[in-house]
Amino acid sequence: MASVDLAFATIAFKRKIAYKTTWLFSVLFGGWALLAGLAVWNHLLGDGEIGGYDWDAMKAYLIIGFLTSTLAWAGSDWEMANRILDGLVSIDLTKPVDFQRARAAEYIGGMTASVPAAIVGTVIAALAFRPAGPASPLAAALTLLSLLFIFPLAFGISYLATLCCFVTQRFLGIQWAKDSMVAFFSGLMVPIALMPVWLQGIAWAMPFVHFTTTPASIYLGRVDTAGALGLIAAEAAWAAGLWIIGRLIWRQLVKKVTIHGG
Amino acid sequence: MAANPASARHAAGVYRRSIGAYLRSIAEYPADFWVMAISGTFWQIVLFAFLSILFDNVNAIAGWGYHEMLILAGFLATSWGSTALFWDGIWDTGKLIIEGDMDYRITRPAPVLIQVASKHVGMQVFGDVTIGVLMMTVGWIGAGISAAAIPLALFLLLCAAVIQASLLTIANAANFWMKGRTPVVAFMLAELQNESMRFPLTIFPAAVRLIFTFGLPLAFASFIPVQIITGKLDLWWLAAPPIAAAATALLAVLAYRAGLKAYDSAGH
Repeated sequence: MASVDLAFATIAFKRKIAYKTTWLFSVLFGGWALLAGLAVWNHLLGDGEIGGYDWDAMKAYLIIGFLTSTLAWAGSDWEMANRILDGLVSIDLTKPVDFQRARAAEYIGGMTASVPAAIVGTVIAALAFRPAGPASPLAAALTLLSLLFIFPLAFGISYLATLCCFVTQRFLGIQWAKDSMVAFFSGLMVPIALMPVWLQGIAWAMPFVHFTTTPASIYLGRVDTAGALGLIAAEAAWAAGLWIIGRLIWRQLVKKVTIHGG
Repeated sequence: MAANPASARHAAGVYRRSIGAYLRSIAEYPADFWVMAISGTFWQIVLFAFLSILFDNVNAIAGWGYHEMLILAGFLATSWGSTALFWDGIWDTGKLIIEGDMDYRITRPAPVLIQVASKHVGMQVFGDVTIGVLMMTVGWIGAGISAAAIPLALFLLLCAAVIQASLLTIANAANFWMKGRTPVVAFMLAELQNESMRFPLTIFPAAVRLIFTFGLPLAFASFIPVQIITGKLDLWWLAAPPIAAAATALLAVLAYRAGLKAYDSAGH
């Protein structure tokens, strides 16, 4: 990583931790969603199981969902979108840095700011609710590895969403649509295993599934080591694929930049 | 606010013209309208799918079947979503305070709350409410509820929309004291409701049930009216939603008025 990337990431990190209330609220929201999820599934599962998840496994699943969603929603989508909407992108074009790479550094720097809160929240939840442990030490290690890919994946998806701002006047609606897709197809709302087969197929063919289902499946041993490595390879492929798609779309859309005034 | 009939008529006129002007401006940006309306449907479609998947695996949640749950989700989507049509400007309160723009609203000869609330329309409402009504209709037919109950449902929806708009007003008024552009309390209200009220309140611990019924009366805007519609509660409960609506509306007016008194403009 070049020093310029690190500089972008550091600035975004500092900016993020400066706004403590926003930061605190994002964890509180996640915490509330986790508690509501626990109440619902506790009621539904009782002593039985649904889709291969018993109560202990579901607790682990929901806590992993809390961790991954806290990370995934910590990036600065709006700052990226506003650069395009406000026309700042025209100044970026004159700078001797690559636009996508600079935004990636900033985005991941911003996400990093939420890591301590996500870890503290996860530890508290794990101590309070005693979820199922990892299937094996290797599964635990592979879960951590799969979690690392959330950083490039979250950037890739958000970057594509913000590129839509070249053709629309606003970002709010696009962000809602993206957030709904992530919440549903990651398995955060309802585990993918409970979906009808055709919908499972669609979910596994998209990158969102790696936000919750992939780390939770590896952790709970729902896939064996070969399966876990396969899923991690899929995450890496998506990270690279989204990067390339972002480049290709940028190349087309940047021609649409309208610079007002003179 | 409006103390006599003449000023009430004036306030209503200002409100109508202000919302009307915004609705006309939508026609100027059709692409934006479609993006917002379609993205409004996304979350509701996801919720619809969530309930359908869940009930493929379970028969009931706390005694609520699939169709009753659809009515609950649809009722919530419609009552909450509709505030974006008639009261969306309220979300700008924090921004108006920080930028000192509230000064202009105070000097104009119309109630400030009316001016702020009607300055904007959230176009997602067209998506939200469409799918909300669709969910309610599917649930209604599936649960075998008589068409004769439709006026009752409309009345309860009206009360619920007033409660939602009032709570939103109070939550946004918090920005008069919190000094921030972002309406964090209002976001929290939206999130609390979104995460918890789409399930029957009975699955939550007693403390949560009490808070959502009497502390923050969200239950009167979804859980209680839907129980009246589906016959889970006696009809005498029908008195509760309008009382809750009147009480929260009064509180909202008082909160906003107190906020305006505390407003000290932006420093220059």
